[in-house]
Order: sequence, then C-alpha cells, then structure tokens
Amino acid sequence: MDEDVLTTLKILIIGESGVGKSSLLLRFTDDTFDPELAATIGVDFKVKTISVDGNKAKLAIWDTAGQERFRTLTPSYYRGAQGVILVYDVTRRDTFVKLDNWLNELETYCTRNDIVKMLVGNKIDKENREVDRNEGLKFARKHSMLFIEASAKTCDGVQCAFEELVEKIIQTPGLWESESQNKGVKLSNREEGHGGGACGGYCSML
Amino acid sequence: MAADSEPESEVFEITDFTTASEWERFISKIEEVLNDWKLIGISSGKPLEKGVYTTGAWEEKSDEISFADFRFSVTHHYLVQEPGDRDGREEGVEDALPLPMQDLLCMNNDFPPRAHCLVRWYGLREFVVIAPAANNDAVLSESKCNLLLSSVSIALGNTGCQVPLFVQIHQKWRRMYVGECQGPGVRTDFEMVHLRKAPSQYTHLSGLLDVFKSKIGCPLTPLPPVSMAIRLTYVLQDWQQYFWPQQPPDIDALVGGEVGGLEFGKLPFGACEDPISELHLATTWPHLTEGIIVDNDVYSDLDPIQAPQWSVRVRKADNPQCLLGDFLNEFFKLCHRKESTDEILGRSAFEEDGKEVADISHALSKLTEPAPVPIHKLSVTNMVHSAKKKIRKHRGVDESPLNNEVLNTILLNLFSQFKSAPSDSLTYKLALCLCMINFYHGGVKGVAHLWQEFVLEMRYRWENNYLIPGLANGPPDLRCCLLHQKLQMLNCCIERKKARDEGKRGNVSDRSPSGSSGDTGRGADHSGDNLKEADKEVGKSWESWSDSEEEFFECLSDAEDLKGNGQENGKKGGAKEGSRDPVSLKPEGRLHPHGKLTLLHPGEPLYIPITQEPAPMTEDLLEEQSEVLAKLGTSAEGAHLRARMQSACLLSDMESFKAANPGCCLEDFVRWYSPRDYIEEEVVDEKGNVVIKGELSARMKIPSNMWVEAWETAKPVPARRQKRLFDDTREAEKVLHYLAVQKPADLARHLLPCVIHAAVLKVKEEEVLEDISSVKKIIKQIISHSSKVLRFPNPEDKKLEEIIAQIMSVEAIIARARSLKAKFGVEKCENEEEKEDLQRCPCPYATWCILYAHLSNHLFTLTESSDEVTNFVPHFPLIFLSCIELNLSISAMPPLDEELRRSGSAEERRFTAGSVLDFPPPTGREIVLRTTVPSPAPYSKALPQRMYSVLTKEDFRLAGAFSADTTFF
Repeated sequence: MDEDVLTTLKILIIGESGVGKSSLLLRFTDDTFDPELAATIGVDFKVKTISVDGNKAKLAIWDTAGQERFRTLTPSYYRGAQGVILVYDVTRRDTFVKLDNWLNELETYCTRNDIVKMLVGNKIDKENREVDRNEGLKFARKHSMLFIEASAKTCDGVQCAFEELVEKIIQTPGLWESESQNKGVKLSNREEGHGGGACGGYCSML
Repeated sequence: MAADSEPESEVFEITDFTTASEWERFISKIEEVLNDWKLIGISSGKPLEKGVYTTGAWEEKSDEISFADFRFSVTHHYLVQEPGDRDGREEGVEDALPLPMQDLLCMNNDFPPRAHCLVRWYGLREFVVIAPAANNDAVLSESKCNLLLSSVSIALGNTGCQVPLFVQIHQKWRRMYVGECQGPGVRTDFEMVHLRKAPSQYTHLSGLLDVFKSKIGCPLTPLPPVSMAIRLTYVLQDWQQYFWPQQPPDIDALVGGEVGGLEFGKLPFGACEDPISELHLATTWPHLTEGIIVDNDVYSDLDPIQAPQWSVRVRKADNPQCLLGDFLNEFFKLCHRKESTDEILGRSAFEEDGKEVADISHALSKLTEPAPVPIHKLSVTNMVHSAKKKIRKHRGVDESPLNNEVLNTILLNLFSQFKSAPSDSLTYKLALCLCMINFYHGGVKGVAHLWQEFVLEMRYRWENNYLIPGLANGPPDLRCCLLHQKLQMLNCCIERKKARDEGKRGNVSDRSPSGSSGDTGRGADHSGDNLKEADKEVGKSWESWSDSEEEFFECLSDAEDLKGNGQENGKKGGAKEGSRDPVSLKPEGRLHPHGKLTLLHPGEPLYIPITQEPAPMTEDLLEEQSEVLAKLGTSAEGAHLRARMQSACLLSDMESFKAANPGCCLEDFVRWYSPRDYIEEEVVDEKGNVVIKGELSARMKIPSNMWVEAWETAKPVPARRQKRLFDDTREAEKVLHYLAVQKPADLARHLLPCVIHAAVLKVKEEEVLEDISSVKKIIKQIISHSSKVLRFPNPEDKKLEEIIAQIMSVEAIIARARSLKAKFGVEKCENEEEKEDLQRCPCPYATWCILYAHLSNHLFTLTESSDEVTNFVPHFPLIFLSCIELNLSISAMPPLDEELRRSGSAEERRFTAGSVLDFPPPTGREIVLRTTVPSPAPYSKALPQRMYSVLTKEDFRLAGAFSADTTFF
C-alpha cells in the first residue's frame, strides 16, 4: 500500500485543553467516539492513509496536549508540519478567545510560513453553544484559514475537515514536493538515517 | 550521384559506390549533410532588421565528414529566425536573388559587436563552413584548396542549395575562408586576402576603392556609385594601477598580528585584477557615398570627432579573480576534504602521549584506529586536555599553522564582539573566521587548528561555568543551523550547571556531599532516562520510569518520612501511603500563590510550585525522540506507553506541587494544571444557599487514568531535590563530543549556510553603493534560490555550486561597474582631490572620460548579452567638444603624446586644445564597400558586389564577395 502513496504529510492538532482534539483524531482514524478519553500527555501520534482526488496521502498526525504546562514541550513537534488543525470548543468561549495565542505560537515555532491552517469549531452537537458559526468564519477569514464546524461525537464534518486540509496541502506544491523529494534522498542512504520527515529548521536568509 | 537520383535501384547504388572516387564520395557526403539539415531549396526571409545580429540568437549545427582519411567538420551557423520566416524557403519567387546575396548589401548590421568573423566580413545571416576537424590540421597546397572549392561548387550545383558554403584553408588561426553561393543563374564567389603587413596603397580608402573597382571589372562607364561604411576603432587596454577598482588586501599586515576586529568579521569583496580588459571606442560613418570624403596617403577627411556615430564597448576580463568568490569557493572545497582534525594536526600527538603517560586509556587509543573513535569511549576531557598540552608542546611556533598571537586575536575577537553586536551570533562569526582562516592562514590545517582550539574553549567554558557569549538565551533555536543549536544547547547546560553549583555553594549543609554534578567525566557513562532507554524498558512498572537514584539532586533515603499526601483525596493511594497529618509537613519549593485559590480541604492558599524547566532539544534530538514516539505505533498500548514516556514532566510537576502544598489533592492540582478539567457548578444546598460545587471532569475521573496514576505515585519532593529532567552533564558531554568529532569538512558543511548568508549580505551591501538594477534582480533570485536549497539538511553540491556561481557573477558585475566608474572617474568631480587625480591622469584617451558623463547611464545598465553602448545621436561629437571645453575650464589636461605619457611628469606637460582632438592612429580600420553592377557583361543582371577590409597593426585582410551572372557563361 505504501508504494502508491504520493507523499507523507505531517499534520498537527492544537488548541486549548478539553476542546476535543484527541476525540476528533480518534473519530477520523478509528471512526469511534469515546466520551471518556483520557487527557493527552505530551503528544500522541496516529497514522492514516487517505485518498484525495485519486492521490493517496499518508498522514502522520500529531495530537498535542492543550495544557499550558505542556506548551513548552509540544512546539518542538511543530517543525516540518505541512498542515495544522486548530480546534476550539463552540460551547466554551474561552477556548475561542485563546486562538490568537495559538496562532502566535505557530508563527514562532513553525519552520515554514506556507503551512496550511484549518480552524475547527468542535462539539456542535452540544446545546449550550457560546461561539456563533459566523464568529468562527470571521476569524478564519482574517487569518486565511480553512474553516469548518464539526462534532467528533456525531461525526459531523470530521472526515471533511481532514480531507479539505490534505487537498489544500496537495494543491500547494512547494509544500509537499520538497518533503517527498527529501524523503527520496534519504532512502538512498538508508543506513545512516531513519526516514523521519525532516525539513530542517535551517537559517532562512535575510 | 546517379545513386541519389535513383534511390529505388539499390543494386546499382552499391555498384556505383564501389567505383566512385574518394572525391565523388566526399561530394555526396556534403550533399547528404545539406539534405539532412534541409538547406536545399530557395532561401527567403525578411529583410534584416537593424541590429538583429546583436540582439538575435545565433545557433550552430555540426557534423563530420571525411575525404579519404582526412576528417572535416561541417558546421551550419545561422541566425535563429521566427518559424514564419523559414516556411518561405520553398515558396520564394523564382527569379529573386538568393537571400545571402541580398544580405551582402544590407547596411543594417554592419560591424556587429560580437559575431562570427564571416558574419562580420560578409554580413551573412546563414552559412555553412567546412573546416579540417582536427585543430592543427590545415589545407595548405593550392591544388587541395581548389579541389575543396570545386567539391563545394559541385555540391551546391547538384543540390540547388542557396546557402553560402565556405571552406577554411591554411592554418586555422589565419581564418582564411573561400566559398561560394549559388542561385538560379547567379553565383557569388567569396575570396580573401590575408597579409601580415598591408601594402601602403591599401591603407587608405582611395587605394581600396581602386582594388574593389578593378576586381569588379565593370564594363560600364561611369561606374555606379560605391557605397561605403567606415569604422575606426580605438582601443584602450593598458590601464594605470590607479584605475584598479580595489587594492588587493594586504595579506602581510593581517598575518603580522595586526588583525583588526573588523578584518575578521567581514568578507572581502571586489576583483583582484581589472575586470575590464579593454575599452573600445568605435567611430563610425555608417553610410558614405563615394566622393564625399577624401582619404588617401597624404590627406584624410576621416576625423573621429566628426564621425556621426560613436559607440563604446567594454571588453570584460573572462573570469576576473574576485575575492568574495574565491573565499566562497575555497570554503566550499573544504566540504570535500576527507581528513579528520587529528589527521591534519598530526596523530603523533596522541600516539606519543601513550608513551609518556602510562595510562591504559591512552594505550588503548594508540591501538585503536582511527583515532577519533576511542575518544568517544574514554574520558573526553582527559584526552582533549592531554592532546592540547601535547599539541602545544609538540608543535613549535614554526610548525603551527596559526601562530599563537593570530589565534588569540581570533578567539578574542570571536568572544569580544558580542556585547556590541548581540544580533550577530557566535556561529556566524565562527563561520566567517573559518572562512578567513581557510583562505589566508593555512587552509584546512588552520581550520582544523582553530576548530580544535574552539572546542577546547567550549569545554573550558563548560567546566568553569562561563556562559558562551553571542548566543540567544533559551532553548536551541530550531531555525538555525545544527551547529548553532548545539552551541545553544551547551549554553543551556552551562546555565543550569552554573545555577546548580551556585545553589550548592549557598546551601552546602543541605546537600549530600556526593552531589557530583561537577564531575564532567562521569556524565558520558550515564544511562539516564532518555527515551531510547525507556523504549527498551517497556515492561517495567510505573516507578521504574521515574526512579533512578543516582539522578536525584539529592537522594532521600527515608521515603517514609515524606510520604505522599495522596490520602486526602480518598483514593486508593491513601491506603498504600499510610496516613499522617499532612499539615505537619513543611511546604517547600513555593513560587507564588495561585491567585485567590485555596486548597479544597485545608483551605490554605494554593501555591504554584517552583518546577523544573523541560529539557531543551536540538533538532537531531527531537528527530530521534519523535521517531521513538512514532515507532510505538498507533495501538492503545503504544499510545499508553507514549504518554508514560512523556509523563516525567507531569510527575515532576505533581511532586513539586505536593511539596509546595501539603495536604493537597488531585483536584487542587488539576485546578492549576488543567483548569478546564475541574467543573464547577452552582448548586443549592440543603439550607437554600447557592454554593459552588466542583468536581473533576469525567476524563480525569476515569479509573487508573494516567493522571490519577501519576498523582498516586508522586511524592512531595520540591523541584530542586527531584531527579533532573534534563541531565545537563550528560547533554553537555554529548555536545562536546559531537563538536570534537567534526571534521573540517563537516564543519564547512555546517557553516556553509552562514557563509553564504554572509556573502549575500555582503553583495547586497556593495550593491546598495552602486545601485545597479540588474544586480538587484539577481540578488533577489539568489536569496530565494538559496533559501530553498539551504532549508534542507545536506543540500546537493551542484545546487550549492550554482549559488556560489551566482554570487560570483554578481560580484564580477559590481566590480566591472566600479572599474568603469574609476576609469571615467571625472563624472563626480566634486572634491578637489579627485580633480587632482584626474589632472594627473596621463591617459591619452582622457577625453573619453567626458564621454562617460553622457554614457554613464548606459554603461551601468550593461547586461551580459550586450556589452556595447552605441550613441546614435548625430550631434554627439558636438556635445563631446563642448564637454572638452568644459573640462578645460576645470583643469588643464596633460598632453596626449604616447611617449610623454610613459616618461615625463605631469607638471612638464602642457595642454593645447588641438592635441585633445588629435586622436592617435586607430587600432583598427574597417571599411565596407558595396555596389550593384552587372557582371561579367554589361548586359548581365546587376548583382551585389562587396568588399570588406580590416587593417590593424599587424594584420590586413580583404574579404570580397563578387557575384556574376552565369546564365550565358
């Protein structure tokens, strides 16, 4: 199956604690929902291969802990990501208000500036909504992001969110070609290194 | 030839070839080639546009044929024309003159600045040349020449090809060509005379006209007028040193110990030799009719000042040696050196050590090859220190690639500039220094030596708690090169060790004497809690993840005294840990109260504890770690394990929290650590009061989830007594070892991005001074190109070479611009000094300087494709003259006499207005004569006739193209 995979993409899921990052991921990868999913410690990792427009892409998805204290640890995993999913909880305004902080964080630690960003408003199945859909739209437009509302519980929008993101990444050729090219180079001298997708954080000029 | 007309009779063809002579075969091969290239048929095309020979693209095709065993190359040279032009080849009007013959008379492309000599001589847009294939072969004898010419003639006749066909005769350097062009009923013969010395009657126009007319042998009287184009070229090539764009750097001064801080921080720039090799001034009379001017052996009307068209041409030196480019190239070459530092500096240093010191480790190093390997296994400190001693002892001042003084200046310089320039990092400066060392001070040896000293310095700083200056604080910046990250990492280690040592000093009684953090030699052997180890110990119990006694700041032998306070939350931990009054514990490691929050049960203020900083990571460590984490897979067990491996930080924070808040419970911790997991609700109690009731979120309540589990395990230990999350000793040793094993080539690869970065900045800086638009564009390209290339580790050599070549080309362009500016330096004659310099300028072409004022704009937009600037303004000489007058009022000009220029001093010279206008004899005289006359008989068709002549000091050439009507002859 790996042979016809066009590229491996690194995707990050970030956002405040308890907004449902791990649940979204679990829904996407295993199509299940666990109301009692333990709080993530550090980072977690899942893989899924999906097909977008006939192109197979292997997604290495890094799920991060939202707690303040883990934030000194997780940004290290931002390196080399091609896509990021920024999640907030539509029933908790404070998780929406904090989005700016997360964007700043991304800007600081991300090694590339053309990373594709997607905003996901989670938990739309709940009744006590605090953040209107339009607010999310407005925020996404302001920061040139993709936007979707979703519910990991009812499965609404989850698949769609990941597919949109991957499609967008594939449409941005500079973003993933270099990655796969880099991988190709690595394959030729396999003894030395392991195949981890590395786009180095090398000094950008000027 | 019969074979060609009857291709279907194959048998006859074979017979035909066996009987054919070599000559016939040769001719048929020529025909074959012409056929292959589709040159058969009537050629037609648009009339040539002005200057198209310069602006258009020229291409050539080659093939090889042989006459017996003598090889010839056949080359088709042609101006690339739009496809539409070529389609017309077949449809051309039957009785029109072949295109090449029309081109003979076209005056739009006389004297092209750069073209094949046949283009220059005959004005052709397309031709085929047959020349001996081997460079030193030549067709010398007259009969052979004739034989070749006959072959050409027959081939053209057989095929009906209208493209002129030339054969090169005599030695190649003489550029002697004869050729022929055929059309329906017309033929042009191309003939040539080449002499070393021109007969006196051919040195002037009237003599040449006589030759031309006699050659035409026109029967008509009076002769149709001959049109003439004349160009006189003046060449300036022996520049004075004054004109050098940049003095070469004084290398002796640098080595002599006067190494200024500036010298080492900056890259050099500019050409070592003059990037402008020649300057040509061409004065042209593009169109004169016979009789308008007189030019004979006693008198000439050809006054360059009066020429209606002037052009200046700059001839660039082919590959001017430029300093920045040299620096880059030399540094890049370093990347391919295979030697290790030890190999370069002499392994004997280590070997002899084994004899002197009866140390088993050194004996081992002597036995083990290659040298760098044992360093890893044994005490690095020991080795390096003894090596250092040894190297110092072993190498005398003479032997050392760098003498101590230079070295000290460099190192001092490296460390001293930081305060003044915090934005410049140590790494960047190190890169420039190594570049400099590589170029001026001993090449790869110097680099190895400096690097060794640098690594020793790093170790010294680590061991003595001196921070490395010139590095941004905080964890390694992943946007920088790995070497920079490593240095930042080392700095983090030093910082922590320093803080710890200082804490220890102020707190001696508190500390266990065995606290051995200062022992640097030990760290390398530790097998702490890094992830790899953890990976192997997958099956161990929870405690095993956090327990590693020797890593504790201070080991608490009696854990019972400080039992956890977990019992307060009523969970199962309580039973295990026993019960004690929590309040009796002294709180430790408090940072500050957490707002107004209080503990749920004792009601004490909730304190945020002092916590351990998480471990800083360099990108290679990070890569390693994410790989380990990813390798655990996506199963539930994998995820669990992954969480566990990352829980050290959580556990440490819990322990600190417990220590700071005796009697606390998990709810308290969660309220600080993950406030959203503590859900508060307003409820009405039995008395009717509204009270806020809180509880853990559902996910925190999951039995035996990792948070609960960790909480139960956590002992109340303040951060300073906890096991270090970040083992600075171990990490520092790792970094120091990493640094020590870098070969000069590795180092060059690490630092090449910095050097390229610096070079681009330098080029940019220089460009700003000159303001050349084309350069701006190239720099932009370089930046975007190299940021793409350098983003990835181990960029391809080819791409790096491209970047360096681009930088070099920019340097050369700027150097040329400077050289031109210096040569025409009068333009900005604002200060007196410059004016004086100008006065002293002994150049006979000083008048050209004035030219600059008018051409400067053009000169500085010189691009690679065109190196000639032409001014077509007819009254240009008038401007020129007025400028001379203007200049006269500024200063008296020196005489222009060639002899005086070489000897006498400026003061002795007197300027006279007349002498300015006295141009020296031209370096080259080119004359094109053209006419259309019937030939050979008065009633023949009127056909183009052309003769080109060029006269230089030691070369005279006549190139004639004479057409004749062949219909009745």
